[in-house]
Amino acid sequence: MRQLAVTDLHKAFGRHAVLTGLSLDVSAGSFTAILGPSGSGKTTLLRLLVGFERPDAGTITIGDRVVDGPGSHVPPERRKIGYVPQEGALFPHLTVEKNVGFGLPARQQRSSRTGELLDAVGLSGMGSRYPHQLSGGQQQRVALARALAIQPEVVLLDEPFTSLDAHMRASVRTDVHAICAKAGTTAILVTHDQDEALSMADRIAVLRDGRIVQYTAPQNLYSRPADPALARFVGDANLVEGQLCGRAAPGMVQTSLGLLPLEPASAAVECAGPVTVLIRPEQLELVSEIASAGAEPGTVSGHVVAYEYYGHDAVVRIRPDGAAPGHEVMVRTVGGPRLAIGTTVKIRARGPVVAWTS
Amino acid sequence: MNELAAPPAPAVRAPVRARRAPRPYGLLVVSALIAGLLAVPLVFLLIESHAAGWSTVAAQIVRPLTGTLLWNTIRLAVVVTVLCAILGTAAAWLVERTDLPGRRLFAVLLVVPLAIPDFVVSFGWSSLFVWVQGFRGAVLVMTLAVYPLVYLPVAASLRAADAGQEEVARSLGVGRMRTFIRITLGQARGAILGGCLLVALVLLAEYGAFEMLGYQTFTTEIFTNLQLPTEVPTSCALALVLVAISLVVLAGEARWRGGGRVARSGPMATRVTPPLRLGRVAKAVSLTGVCALIALAVGLPAGASIYWIAAGGIPSVSNSVSVSMLSAAWHTAAYGVCTGVLDTLLALPLAVLAIRHSGAVRQFLERSTYLVLAMPGVVIALALTYFTEQYLGGAGYQTAPLLVLCYTIMFFPLALVGVKAAIARAPASLDEVARSLGHSRVAAFSRVTLRLAAPGLVAAFCLVFLECVTELTATLILVPTGVQTLATQFWQYQSSLSYAQAAPFALVMIALATLPSIVLGRFFHVSAQAQGSEA
Repeated sequence: MRQLAVTDLHKAFGRHAVLTGLSLDVSAGSFTAILGPSGSGKTTLLRLLVGFERPDAGTITIGDRVVDGPGSHVPPERRKIGYVPQEGALFPHLTVEKNVGFGLPARQQRSSRTGELLDAVGLSGMGSRYPHQLSGGQQQRVALARALAIQPEVVLLDEPFTSLDAHMRASVRTDVHAICAKAGTTAILVTHDQDEALSMADRIAVLRDGRIVQYTAPQNLYSRPADPALARFVGDANLVEGQLCGRAAPGMVQTSLGLLPLEPASAAVECAGPVTVLIRPEQLELVSEIASAGAEPGTVSGHVVAYEYYGHDAVVRIRPDGAAPGHEVMVRTVGGPRLAIGTTVKIRARGPVVAWTS
Repeated sequence: MNELAAPPAPAVRAPVRARRAPRPYGLLVVSALIAGLLAVPLVFLLIESHAAGWSTVAAQIVRPLTGTLLWNTIRLAVVVTVLCAILGTAAAWLVERTDLPGRRLFAVLLVVPLAIPDFVVSFGWSSLFVWVQGFRGAVLVMTLAVYPLVYLPVAASLRAADAGQEEVARSLGVGRMRTFIRITLGQARGAILGGCLLVALVLLAEYGAFEMLGYQTFTTEIFTNLQLPTEVPTSCALALVLVAISLVVLAGEARWRGGGRVARSGPMATRVTPPLRLGRVAKAVSLTGVCALIALAVGLPAGASIYWIAAGGIPSVSNSVSVSMLSAAWHTAAYGVCTGVLDTLLALPLAVLAIRHSGAVRQFLERSTYLVLAMPGVVIALALTYFTEQYLGGAGYQTAPLLVLCYTIMFFPLALVGVKAAIARAPASLDEVARSLGHSRVAAFSRVTLRLAAPGLVAAFCLVFLECVTELTATLILVPTGVQTLATQFWQYQSSLSYAQAAPFALVMIALATLPSIVLGRFFHVSAQAQGSEA
């Protein structure tokens, strides 16, 4: 069932066009991320959805109610959209309990409802504290409880985790996801952090230059991005040149890292010609020296240029033999010894890969 | 004017697009009406000058007296402003940045002169010492009376600024003296300039203190002329020159200030830097200096009043003043409260417009209200007097509403500074959250913004109330017939040399003005601390 629909939305500030014909459908109960770099129009879209701004053209429908359309504009207070702004924006002069109860009618504010909400976000017993007595993560959870209190049809989360410490971010993300799922609320997360979007969302809409360029599940977005720029935006990417084999070897692409199978859904498998190929660092592996004393088919040799250790894995930058400086490839490795710079290695690529005609 | 209070917005980031919000037409219309009301005195001054004939007015300007008045006014303004800048800044630095003993107490005592009307300081000195008169006397009295106008903003800005910058400068090999000049004075530059502007404007507008000291300035001359109805062109001419000088002062300050924005570094600035340790000699000298300043500015005027009461015999004094005292105190407080409430309310729309919206119209409206600063009380009173005479056939002249209107116009810029600071404490994003939770625009504003701004609004009210209690010039002109305020009653007794009767009024005025000034001091202190700890 469709919960929120945006059709052909336009918004400009003066001569500066921010949204240029944006359309988006969000189904009920889903967790959708709107991912975009800064300046892509994320905040504007969000402010239009909540009703703080009015679109120049286009319609916004929540449930079966048109909240913005030709000649109609429902003010924010009558939209029933839960809004969790950046850094929480708790009311500093009110206790946690009163913050949570802020949107409830006066007679419900003292009821058990606020207590239930605080339980739900794991903050029972903190109702009498003031916002400045809470940690950043707790403030975010209070802000979420406050938004959920009005039983909104949709909750909008505006980069709510950016102000948190790295170690806290992961746990608060998980909690927020669980709370929204339990409440059965449709949630829309606006973020510029691709890890956040990939780990939390059921579907991700990528916003660029005022429109949605791709709207799909996280796995799809990562493995089959719509274009090379998007490939880079959602994760580390090796973009190499390749040649489609066409009829000679259907569904295969010849690259400097070997002959690789194309994703079945990848376009233009039939034609031959130059293409740009995406190979994620996880699709490359280092082949041990001993096993490959001779020339092993399907491998390319090169030498290590840099080694970045991250604990859970490491990224090795390798310049293949004969490649010009600046054409290094990234290989993600798990475990294994630290490789000294200059070490000669062999790499092997695994498909399937995506390609775009260049 | 913004230097008086720059309490920070809490650490909630304002939405990036907030300033592009749709045009607030209602707010603009209300603000335009208020700005129009404030422009009334200037407009009527010009109309009156026009009616008197520009050539007549010009002839009044081009005469030797104008030269004398100009020389008197300007040399006094320059000398006192410089002295106040030095005294106020030095005192602020000692209290805020060094380990001067008792600096918490001094922080309060140094502000007290704000609660003592300039003409009471003048009374204290000139009634005890014959030599306190003329230019010398005026410099002494006014410096002691108005240095807190520099002290207060400079202390607030030093408290809020990052003392860590001084340490960085020292670590980069810059000496202690050059660090003070380049870093500390740099941080306080805007506040010092703003304080100096206030001092200069007060000097241009002062009447009572100079009258007592026999020192002639534009304001005293306008006041004298007002008594003679035939001298309308002269009054207009002098008022125009006075307004022109004030405008030059305002423009000069704006020019000097340009580009003097102080940036703060991020979260690092929250660190508390220990105060500078003074050497033994430096400590003794500073302590003596600050004590002497307080003794001369607070102790002497208060002491003189007590002396005169004692000299007159307490029973006889209490009999003669008790009834008039109650009535005068009641009227003073009533006018002060009315003006305070009115000014705070009128400042709200302009403050919201200034803090939450951008655009040329908004900027024009906000700036136009600062024109009032260039209108000394005597000029506003004069313009309102002409207005009632010309258009209302004298109706309204010397009535309570006209006096309150005059006060309201005079002190609006002060209220606006306070209310703006108050609104800045409540980020617009909180209002938006409240709206998304189902509250209307008005409900969100009153439940969130007004609640958060309340301390600042109280401070703005106190500031205006304080000014009303200690105002003399316009009050003498417009006070309702048959009514005396504390200031006018004091003035009457003092003029007839009944010092023993005048002194109790001075003390009650000080008492009535002290409470709001303490509230103000606390507000500046707390808001600067908040700024220091948030960032």
